[in-house]
Amino acid sequence: MSEPIQITFDEGLYPKDAIYGAAYVLIDRCYVHLDRTGENRITVKLQPKPGVSITPEQAIGEFQNEALGQAWRRQILDENRALIEMISSRALGGAAGPPGLDDLLALETSEDTAFDDPLGIAMSWEEKYKKKSNETPPEGSNKEEP
Amino acid sequence: MIEKRFHPDLYDREAVDAAVRVYDAFGTIELEAAAEAILVRVTAKAGVDEQRLADELANYALGTTIESRKLTTGGGAS
Repeated sequence: MSEPIQITFDEGLYPKDAIYGAAYVLIDRCYVHLDRTGENRITVKLQPKPGVSITPEQAIGEFQNEALGQAWRRQILDENRALIEMISSRALGGAAGPPGLDDLLALETSEDTAFDDPLGIAMSWEEKYKKKSNETPPEGSNKEEP
Repeated sequence: MIEKRFHPDLYDREAVDAAVRVYDAFGTIELEAAAEAILVRVTAKAGVDEQRLADELANYALGTTIESRKLTTGGGAS
């Protein structure tokens, strides 16, 4: 079995979760051991398992690439977290469907909770266009029936 | 005898305990938990590769740690 090889990562550049992710990818082919060797520094020791056709140098290279990819994906996720949450919540809200009759009946609609309606949109047609009692009808248009 | 050191910030105590339970049948495994490290001393039974036993135990502890943290934090490793 080949000798183990180790590499140290700065946690400022490679978050712990990125190192975990890279370790998880290689754990079936290598023995992986993590340790802290200083402030914000994680040392990874890798040794290919017996019978696996990967050299320690290849394992380290793959680990570095994977850690970088994991860190980058994590950064993208953090930058777009608000957008993802908004889309998810809208999708879930839409999946719930329109409110049912019970939901509408349960709505509290009183003078206090009713919305303002300055344009009279919520008024009925009859209420909005009803004739005023003192309005004088145009000449010849309102002849009384005999 | 081989001694493995697990930093408590990187390895869950429960994961190391689970690894010890799994590989206990292959040798004598002592576990000592301190504030700065969890120490595991592995002595393999006759016919068992001691280094391999210690490495497999460490891998199991790491894999279990990652899986449990992935579940609790909802992200990270993939």
